[in-house]
Amino acid sequence: MAPLQRRALFGLLFGVVWIAAMMAVFLSKGGAQSFDQDADFRLLIDGLWIGGLLVYLALFATITRQRARFDERDKLIMDRSARAQWLAALFSLVAWIIGLSEFYRSEGQIPIVFLYIIFIFVLAIGSMAQSAGILIGYWRMNRDG
Amino acid sequence: MTQQRLADRAGCTRQTIIAVEQGKYVPSLELAFRIAKALGVPVEEVFQYEDP
Repeated sequence: MAPLQRRALFGLLFGVVWIAAMMAVFLSKGGAQSFDQDADFRLLIDGLWIGGLLVYLALFATITRQRARFDERDKLIMDRSARAQWLAALFSLVAWIIGLSEFYRSEGQIPIVFLYIIFIFVLAIGSMAQSAGILIGYWRMNRDG
Repeated sequence: MTQQRLADRAGCTRQTIIAVEQGKYVPSLELAFRIAKALGVPVEEVFQYEDP
């Protein structure tokens, strides 16, 4: 397994655990209403997603430092994975917009907490999609050339 | 020469060398020259172009 491939697999697994942990904390602490009223709750969520993001970024930053372990083939796959990242972010945003608009249409407003949630979610999904895109890229290149 | 040693000399990963050997990846001109140099032979001895 190539170093980038290994890091993408780790990144994908980390992303799944990261999102699951954040959802578990969010729901166990009382969800959207508590998030609005409790500053400590907001700080906890902020810490979780910023911390998780930094760990994720550190994973990919370590690859580029070692030139011999990140070659042109890896770069090609990584460039192609950006498309998966973009598509995942786009579809996530569309789903959120439609879902929230329909759910809160009768109230005429959407709780501000969803600004947080959408941003974190799209960021996490985009990162995981990049990892998935890298893994799929290696699989396709190994299969087809 | 092992694949890893060739990869180290050519400045790429072992997986790339494997992919090149299996014909599943076409290296750039730069990498092709580096591989040939690592093997100590002219690039034409390592890579040949075949009409599709």
